[in-house]
Order: sequence, then structure tokens, then C-alpha cells
Amino acid sequence: MSGPLAGVRGIVLTQAWAGTYCTELLAMAGADIIQLEVRKRPDSWRGTYATPMADAVAQVPTAEHPWNVNGLFNSVNLGKRSFTVDLSTPEGLAIYRALVPFADIVAENFSPRVVGNLGLSYEELKAIKPDVIVASLSAYGHDGPWANIPGIGGTIEPTSGMSALLGYPDGPPMNSGQMYPDAVAGLYGFAAIVTALHQRDRTGEGQYVDLSMQEANLANIGDSALQYTLTGEQRPRLGNRHLTFAPHGIYAVQPTAEGTRRWVALAAETEAQWAALCAVADRGWDTDARFADNAARKQHEDDLDRAIAEWAASEDRDALADRLSAAGVIAAPVLDSLEVSADPVLRARGVVIELDHPEAGRWPQVGAPFHFSKAVTKVERPAPLQGQHSLEVFREFLGMSDEQYEELLAKNITGEGPPQ
Amino acid sequence: MTTGQDQPTESALHGLQVLDLSTSVAAAWCSRLFADFGADVALVEPLGGHPLRAHAPATEDGRGIPAEHLLANKRSLVLDLEAESGRELLRDLVTHADVLIESFAPGVLAGWGLDAETLEAIRPGLVVVSVTAHGQDGAYAALPGNDLTSSARSGWASINGFAAQPPLQATQYQGSYCTGVLAYAAAVAALHHRAVTADSGGPERPSPGDGQHLDISEFEVMASTFAPALLRAQYAGEVGARKETMDVTGGPVPVADGFFALTLSRAHFYRDAMSVLGLDDLADDEQLQEGWYRNEHRELWVDRVHTAMAGWSRRDLFDELGVRRVVAGPVFAMNELTDNEHLRARGFWVRADDDPEGPEHTGAPVKLSATPWRLRTRAPRPGEHTLALLGEYDVEEERVQTLLAAGVLVAEATPVTPGAPSMQRAPGAMR
Repeated sequence: MSGPLAGVRGIVLTQAWAGTYCTELLAMAGADIIQLEVRKRPDSWRGTYATPMADAVAQVPTAEHPWNVNGLFNSVNLGKRSFTVDLSTPEGLAIYRALVPFADIVAENFSPRVVGNLGLSYEELKAIKPDVIVASLSAYGHDGPWANIPGIGGTIEPTSGMSALLGYPDGPPMNSGQMYPDAVAGLYGFAAIVTALHQRDRTGEGQYVDLSMQEANLANIGDSALQYTLTGEQRPRLGNRHLTFAPHGIYAVQPTAEGTRRWVALAAETEAQWAALCAVADRGWDTDARFADNAARKQHEDDLDRAIAEWAASEDRDALADRLSAAGVIAAPVLDSLEVSADPVLRARGVVIELDHPEAGRWPQVGAPFHFSKAVTKVERPAPLQGQHSLEVFREFLGMSDEQYEELLAKNITGEGPPQ
Repeated sequence: MTTGQDQPTESALHGLQVLDLSTSVAAAWCSRLFADFGADVALVEPLGGHPLRAHAPATEDGRGIPAEHLLANKRSLVLDLEAESGRELLRDLVTHADVLIESFAPGVLAGWGLDAETLEAIRPGLVVVSVTAHGQDGAYAALPGNDLTSSARSGWASINGFAAQPPLQATQYQGSYCTGVLAYAAAVAALHHRAVTADSGGPERPSPGDGQHLDISEFEVMASTFAPALLRAQYAGEVGARKETMDVTGGPVPVADGFFALTLSRAHFYRDAMSVLGLDDLADDEQLQEGWYRNEHRELWVDRVHTAMAGWSRRDLFDELGVRRVVAGPVFAMNELTDNEHLRARGFWVRADDDPEGPEHTGAPVKLSATPWRLRTRAPRPGEHTLALLGEYDVEEERVQTLLAAGVLVAEATPVTPGAPSMQRAPGAMR
């Protein structure tokens, strides 16, 4: 492991996206993250044990271990090790508790009542490891009247105020294309854990982190909230517009030869950028009084958007984005998910990487989004197979023999795939 | 109930000095989190004021609301870094800093003779955090970018919105906020690295530990949050697409008093939700218990669910589903969130300690039991703390007066009269 968190260890019970992304960021920053998986209730991002699997690799046979080839799970668990124990048995729980002394960090995103049922609350873990940092990521936090109401990204988006802001100006509130609030929660969970680590470096003391996905997401739209508390006004859905600057939008360009529609995003936040856009377009906008300055352009934004749309419609996407960018205009092609993975800058800077996964094969995927000059990070492991490192972990920390491990397998306390 | 704000404990970042040269939302949110977890953040504003101060909407007396939010908890010093004497003073300020946050276009600091290596030579152990649209190197480094382009280049725009309409960026400043929190977390991780490498020179030559230059790109952070859709597309061999229609399987749909999301991602969510909606035949249908089957046969159930939901109010449906532990999402607006009994009970909404009559702000994004997040001060006026900060940094009075007279430093003499602070530099020009 390399990176600023080398030497830090987390033994974690995270699942789906918010929790796993949080602990994946720790792993990608160099921490040794060991993921406990519960076979009786597999991570929902591994899918169920049954086929068909909508999110699994289309090109490889998935019938044998479909849970190991789910694109969702494999995208957010890089750099981790995985072991399984059955926490519903005293023996399995004892193994987990025996591992806790080796952990700097424990993180989980079960619903609040599950942790208590398992005897894995902060108080109980602290009794085992006094300076442990325990992080809980849940829908609504661990206290308050909604503490036991479940939630996931698709329901937190509406209840955090995010959905009310996302959408077209004349359209309904919307959810993002992909459970966005989970990612936000994962980022704040990562931030909270390293903050707690900093405190432990200073004082030697651990603490408890209580993350409510609703609160983390509401904090991520804090300026909209302040607009309401200061003015009494709900910020409207803006589509791709900006409250301050115009133009600021996504415009259709020439479709592909196959007829697929394509788009360019462009914006001007300064008069210099606007002048550069006028020069590239060469449509006389620079002398049009309606567009004389940013205030005028905001006032005539419908006209402005029509003019840009009419001009852009026959342009080639990438050539246009390149010309605008080279001229200093804020501009980018709207890339689809396959194009993003081929982006030359993401590749060159090591953000999109390829790792050999023992069952899914080798695919481009997104690694670490940070670059440290000295504590250089490197993602070396693909997402683990379920239970891939059980024996390794039991040996390393508990000194377990092969015979003891075989016994656990026979009792179904550890293993891979659906419990017998 | 937890209140968060009145626990008299020391903050996690107490004693940490942060020099905030931010010019963007992302970098300003990064330094705001440093302040919220207890660091002393000195905001170095250009002569025209922080570019964010020009962002709409504004209060009646002309204060930009995004700036009121993003600059809160910091102290402001106005300093002209375009002037050589201003940069000389900055070098002296750097000798007090643990962390320096900047978001200039790559090369601007170096052009001033203040590249990250030089900065770390001035202050060993310094963590320099550079937050830009596209990173410090690579083919896009020099290109301008913002929240719109980070959504376009990361893939998010391609899956947000309706198929028949244009792609939608992640709403408003989302790319910036995500980048801000990631940059904050990575910087604190760098401080951990500094702590574990400290004193490696032995007692004769105590070392502060390794400093670091941290390079954070808004478009890469958004690509990171897009990771599941990206790998899923690889595996499937086809791109993710925007929704065709407004449909309960993809997001909120109309109910009697607004919109409501019902994410039927587990078998029991489906069964119990159908039962609450009075659709017992759908609840009992064996084939529809399977998620993949429901997705492929929407004609069997989706319209009937929409019709049944239309008769419910958001709150009644949320309560009925909640007791059955079914995930459900009424769309709330800010007036409902500021009134929300759960957020109130958790003490989420807060006023700045120094502004008890001021507006409520969003509170802790995450609660730390021993070292809570805290909003101590409202956003400063430009130059409100110039003299206080320079006094604390032991800058000679005569030098301060000379720089003030030269217009390189600005100290607020009297409270700014209502009306927007003068904007001598076009907003965003430093990006």
C-alpha cells in the first residue's frame, strides 16, 4: 500500500455505494481496507445470487459466480480485501471481534438497528479497541425521529432537497441518472474519517462518526438553503443555466452518421470568454445590443440560447469543443459513459485505469481522483471476489491454521458464494 | 437529542493555520470545511473582492448569497497579489501556514515565483492544495472549465435528464461541492502523512514532516462519482441512457400534493408498497417479485402504480411506507426542510455563533462525536480582518501602513455601506 494513509487499517462492513465508496477512497489513499461480507445477506451491489444479472459482464459466462462480476460492486471496491464470516453465529461474531484490535477504523452502512442487533455499536467496539474510529453512514442518522426510517440514494435525493433543484426550468423535479446522493455521502464519510484520524494523531483518542445521507446532501446544496432562509425563495430548477452567467448551456450539434444526437456544453463567465465565443461563432453577436454585457445576456438569455443553438446545430462536436476551448471559452463535449473511459487525460493522469479482475477480466474503470506529490498513491488491487481473502486475513491477524479454517468452512461460518 | 453545536469540546483542526487563496466554489468549499472543523482560515481576497461575491442571488443589501455561505467561518484579508510587494507579504504569511489552498489557473503561482516547491521551501511541511477544473498537467490543464463542463466530461450529463431533451448537468454547483470535500479530505490525509513522517530528522534536527502538493481536478472528481455507471457500461457494452419518461422506476412521480420517489429495489419494498397502495393483485403476483422481471414488464404494473399514488399526499404515503421499512422519497423543498422535525431534532440548522440574529445555515454534513463541526462566524466583509491578521502574524506596522498607502493591502475602515462590493476584476477571471 502506498499513499498518505499507508499504515492505517480499516476493518469495515460497508455495502452498496455510500459506504463502499467512503472506504474505497480510504483504500485508494493507501489504507489497508478489509471488507467483511455477510453471505446470508450479500451486498446489494453484488446482486442476489441468482441470475439473470442486469449489471454483470455481458461477455463472460456469469452463471458460476455472478456476484463476483457485478459492475456496480466492482466499480467501488478497488484496493480492498474481502473476508466472510457469519455474524449471526457466536463463532463468527467472535472472529470479527478478535479482528477489531487490529483496526484503526470501523465503518458500516447498515440501518441503525442492525448494528445494535449485532453487538457492534461504538461503545462495544470501543471496549475492545479504545482508540478506534467508528463511522456509521445511514439514511437519516443514528438519532432523531426518523433514525429508523430506511433510505437509499434514490429516496434521499428527494428528501434532501436535491431533486427539487434538478430538472428543466419548465419540468418536474428529477432524480439524477444514478443514485448521486450515495457518492456525496461517501465523500463526506471519507472526510469525516480522516478528520477523526487527525484528531487521534493529536490526542490518541478515537471517536464516533454519525453520517446522515440526508444531511450530507443538504449541506452540499447549502447556498440554496441559505437563499431560502435569507429571502424566503426556493431556488428554481435551472436546467443547465447559471444564476449569474450567460451563456451557460448544453447545445445540440451534428448527430453522428448513425443518427445519435450529440451535444456541446459551453459557457462564458467573463467578457473575455464571451468575446472569444463571438469570434469563433462569427455571427455578429459582438455588436448585438441584446448581448452587450453579462447583464444584457442574462436578460435576453432565451434569444441568446436560440442563437447559439442555431449556430451549433451543424457543427462537429469535438471540433467545436476544441475550437472553443483553444479560444479560451469554457466548453466541453458531452461524453457518454464509454467515451469517458477513453478520455486521454483521464488515462494519462491515471484516473481511468485497467486492472485484471480474476473473474471479470480487464476493463477500464475509475481509480483515485487525487494526486499527491510525495505520498504517491497507486491502486493495485481490483475489487475483491467475495471472501477472496478470508484465509489470508485469518492467518495474518489471528494466526489461524489451515485446519481451523477448514472447520469454519465446514460449519459455513466462512466461505464464498451462497451459504449451503 | 444531539445538538452538535453546544458541545464545548476542542475542534479536530484547532491550531491549524490555513491560507485560503481560493477563487472558485470548489476551493472555497474546501477551505470552508477546514474552518468548520476548527482550523483558522485566512481568506486572501483580491482587490475587487473574492470572485464568488459577484455570484447571484444577492440579499436586499447587495451581499451575494453563495459567498455568504461559502466564505463563512473565515477571516478576510484583502491583498493584491498582482503587485510584487503583495507577493512578498504573501511569502511572509506562508511562513505561518500549515495548508495553502489555491485555484488559480495552473502556472499562475509559478509565474509569481510561488510554485509549490518554493512554497514548501519557505514553510517546510506545508500542504499546498491546488483545485482546478482539469488538473495541473495533461492536455486540458490550460483549458477553462466549470460545473457545466465537469458534468459534460465526466459522463454525468449524459445520464441526467430526459432522453428527448438536452443532457442535464449535475445541479448547479454540485461538481464544485464534491471537489471541495474531496480536496479537503485529501489534504487532511496529507496532514496525517505529515504527522507520521514528523521528527524523522531526530531530536537534533526536528522535522515538521513531509509537506505535499495536492492536485485535485473538478472533472476527475466527477468522473470518480460516475464510476459505477462507467464500469456498468463497459461490462454491458452499451452506454447508459437518459430516462425516456417520468416513471416511478426512475425518479419522482406526481402525487396529490407534489412528487414522490418510490425505489422498489428489494422484493419486500415492492410487495409492501403495492399492498399500501391497495394493489393487492400486484403485491401477490409471483413473477413481479423479481426486479428484473418488473423492469422488463413495466406495462403490467407501472401505470396502475402511478394512478394509485396520485391519490396520496406525500407525508401520508411516507409515513405508511416508513413503518413498513420501505424506502420512500417525498420531494421536499427548502421551506419543508427548514421546518422538518427530524432535522430540527438533530440540530441540523444553525446560526453562526457571532450572528445570533442572522439567517440559519445548513449545519454539519457529518457529525463527529468528540470534535464537532461548528459555524463560528458569518462571512467576513472584504478586508474585515486585514489588520487583525497582520498583527497576529507580527507584520511590522510601518510595512502595513506602506502597503495600505500603496493600495496593495486593503483594510475595512468602516462597515461596507449597503450595495455590492466593488468588483474591479471580472468574476472568474482567475480561473
